[in-house]
Amino acid sequence: MDAQLKRGVLDVCVLAAIKNEDSYGYKIIKDLKPILELSESTLYTILKRLEEGRMLIVRSTEFEGRLRKYYHITDVGLKRIEAFKNEWKEIMDIYSFIDREG
Amino acid sequence: MYKYEFLTALREQLVGLPKEDIEERISFYEEMINDRMDEGKSEEEAVAEIGTVDDVVREIAGDTKLVKLVKEKVKPKRSLRGWEIAIIIGSFPFWLPIVIVSFVLALVGFILIWTLVIVTYTVETALWAGSIIYAIAFFMSFVNGAPNYALLGMSVMALGGALLMIFGCYGSTKLTIGLSRRMMIGIKSAFIRRGGKK
Repeated sequence: MDAQLKRGVLDVCVLAAIKNEDSYGYKIIKDLKPILELSESTLYTILKRLEEGRMLIVRSTEFEGRLRKYYHITDVGLKRIEAFKNEWKEIMDIYSFIDREG
Repeated sequence: MYKYEFLTALREQLVGLPKEDIEERISFYEEMINDRMDEGKSEEEAVAEIGTVDDVVREIAGDTKLVKLVKEKVKPKRSLRGWEIAIIIGSFPFWLPIVIVSFVLALVGFILIWTLVIVTYTVETALWAGSIIYAIAFFMSFVNGAPNYALLGMSVMALGGALLMIFGCYGSTKLTIGLSRRMMIGIKSAFIRRGGKK
């Protein structure tokens, strides 16, 4: 897959993984496992990029005597998911045009 | 490998990154290992799933911009005193050649691996040009009433070569882009590993 396209898709996948409830690193990796294999380093970079883009906020919470970082989606992040879905609709229209019979 | 060993080794390998980045990454990997252990995995298993320290450094190198690494390398660890700045400026005959040589070496490396691309595209262009020139020469001999079929043959052969060479161009471009990327990661890894030691 084209690197630029893949990057955009990965960002939205991670946003979707924290959309319904706040999540933490290892849980995001596990939740995404059925659809894509994400390495720790890749996830770190994506989370960093999303944080810089204000699409999520990070808070450290104590969990069993140690700190765990939870990621919470912002309105900007939610809008990004919606924008992606709209872009995808356009791409699907183009796809069905390309794939049409005859 | 145990968690402590892994994190210590990783910290040592990341010296070229800004301090805050190192701490943030270390705590990120620590959390990842802890979460795996909470799930019932042994410490060694949990660490093994993260990958080797070397893999992690290379992945980080792939994600970090060279500019950021160079900036971190150049940035003094504390504010310099006047005489220190004077010494650094005064000693430029010593460090300037080293900087220039390393830069030129990297540049030569990239040019060398791109040479293959230049050669294949040059051959491709020459074959197309040859094919067209032979075709024109044949056409002229035809118009003059004495068709020279050897010229036509040469034109067709050059055309065939040109078509085959398209695969050569494609292959060399792909190979070279891959090599350049690997070389870039190598350079950046070196900055991350040794960058902080001066």
